[in-house]
Amino acid sequence: MPALLIFGMFFYLPFLQSIYYSFTEWNALKPPRFIGFDNYVNLLKDQRMKDGFFNTMKMVAFGVIVQNTLALFLAVMLNKPFRTKAFLRTSLYLPIVISLVVTSIIWGQLLNYEGLFNGILIRLGLESIIQDWLGTVQTSFPTIILLTQWQGIGYCAIIYLAGLQSIPNDIYEAAEIEGAKGFTLFRTITLPMLMTTVSVVLFLIVVGGLRLFELPYILTNGGPGTSSYTLFLAVYNAAFQNTQYGYATAASIVLAFFIIIVAIVQLRITSKREVEL
Amino acid sequence: MGQLRKPPLLIEALMLLLALLFLLPVCYLLMMSIKQPAIFYDPFKLPNQLYLEYYKAAFQDVAFFRGLGNTLYVTLGGLVLTILVASMSGFVLARMNQRFFRYVFLFILSGLIIPTVGSLIPMFKLAIALELINTRTLLVFMAAAAGIPMATFLYSAFTKSIPRELEESAAIDGCGRLRLFWMIIFPLLMPATGTFVITNIYAAWNDFVTPLIFLNDPSKMTLMPQIVQFMANKQSINLGPVFALSVLSVLPLVVLFLFTQKYMLKGLVMGSVKG
Repeated sequence: MPALLIFGMFFYLPFLQSIYYSFTEWNALKPPRFIGFDNYVNLLKDQRMKDGFFNTMKMVAFGVIVQNTLALFLAVMLNKPFRTKAFLRTSLYLPIVISLVVTSIIWGQLLNYEGLFNGILIRLGLESIIQDWLGTVQTSFPTIILLTQWQGIGYCAIIYLAGLQSIPNDIYEAAEIEGAKGFTLFRTITLPMLMTTVSVVLFLIVVGGLRLFELPYILTNGGPGTSSYTLFLAVYNAAFQNTQYGYATAASIVLAFFIIIVAIVQLRITSKREVEL
Repeated sequence: MGQLRKPPLLIEALMLLLALLFLLPVCYLLMMSIKQPAIFYDPFKLPNQLYLEYYKAAFQDVAFFRGLGNTLYVTLGGLVLTILVASMSGFVLARMNQRFFRYVFLFILSGLIIPTVGSLIPMFKLAIALELINTRTLLVFMAAAAGIPMATFLYSAFTKSIPRELEESAAIDGCGRLRLFWMIIFPLLMPATGTFVITNIYAAWNDFVTPLIFLNDPSKMTLMPQIVQFMANKQSINLGPVFALSVLSVLPLVVLFLFTQKYMLKGLVMGSVKG
């Protein structure tokens, strides 16, 4: 089967090799040499990796809590018969097709020190809080997180909307006859019926958060200092700027196993819940 | 649940406001690509004429059509290859119930969980060993490898809704296996193909990391890294041409999106019901 061949060769084989290389000292000058867990120990001492790790975790946490909730809310709203439904849907989804590269360019300009955003703040009389949003240690990464929401919310809302539409309408009708309404209806019918979709969306958010790369790469290159590093960016820089291949592989393995563990835990939790309901 | 009642005007107005907020950056992108240099950095001045010099510059300084061609080649190549192999494997895996095939199916599905990040560097080495480094063919193969798990899953889910009798009667009429698949089954799996294409084409087109790492020959570059390099070369000067180039690179997708968004939702609904 050709599918198996391509998949195995360009997907599984490199992954398994990665695990081996992560235990070696390997750079552009020297061939791989086995050094045990040294790479992993060094990871813990590297400021870029540390910042990358905590930033990535912040991103994931924010995504799971805020993005997930807002997306679900938006999907419920978009499922209602608004007069301008088509326009609403199109404009909320449109950001999805715009590449992260172009997103970075747009927002990089908007959030410039002399950009539109600060301009509006000045006109509103909020001069005291204007700053270089992407060039300040305290604000650079929170800004990047917020920027991901521009695309992220719409993307998750689409999937939720699909989930909402696959819930048969007669269940609601039956419940309304029983006298349930409003939020009770949402809590007792919509949410349980939507559990599969919730797990899909959460999975996408977590994986997407863990591989956040383009925005910090283009907008800040991890700076100022190491304040907006993400794990993926740290891996990329270690491998392709500093040519520490073995070390970078170790970091990427940590990242990969993180994703795998999250995925498995999540599958467990959600599949259990589905059975209970 | 009020499915038929119209929501109040106030909420509708709030939603419209939100929608406009989402649209604002897109409008900004368009606006910046036609704003004259004199007022380019004044955020409150709107362009009062159609200034097309940036587009001219974008066409002159960057080989836009070459980049477009490369992007098309990689995107379509990846999608076609995925569809060719995954439709067959999805079909076979859905029809065969022996233990071996179930393990193969699980093996492929595990690819949905294992991230590509973990294998970038060995991939790099493999590419050198196969002499595929710096070729667009490599990107096609990588895109296919990454797409196969999802596509196989979709195809096998949709295969289950095709009655077996169809294959049996075709086989009685003397139809060979391959012909049976491509003439009869594959057209019936069209919804799966559509769902896969619509949900994957954007990510493939917009991919930035893979070409950034695995290509370095400018003549093979796809659009996204091209834009970033163009911007890096222009740092101090007017960013207008960069915006123009961005508009050009986004335009095909926006058009595609406007025509297919209805099917996108439908495909997702079908996928979620079947899956």
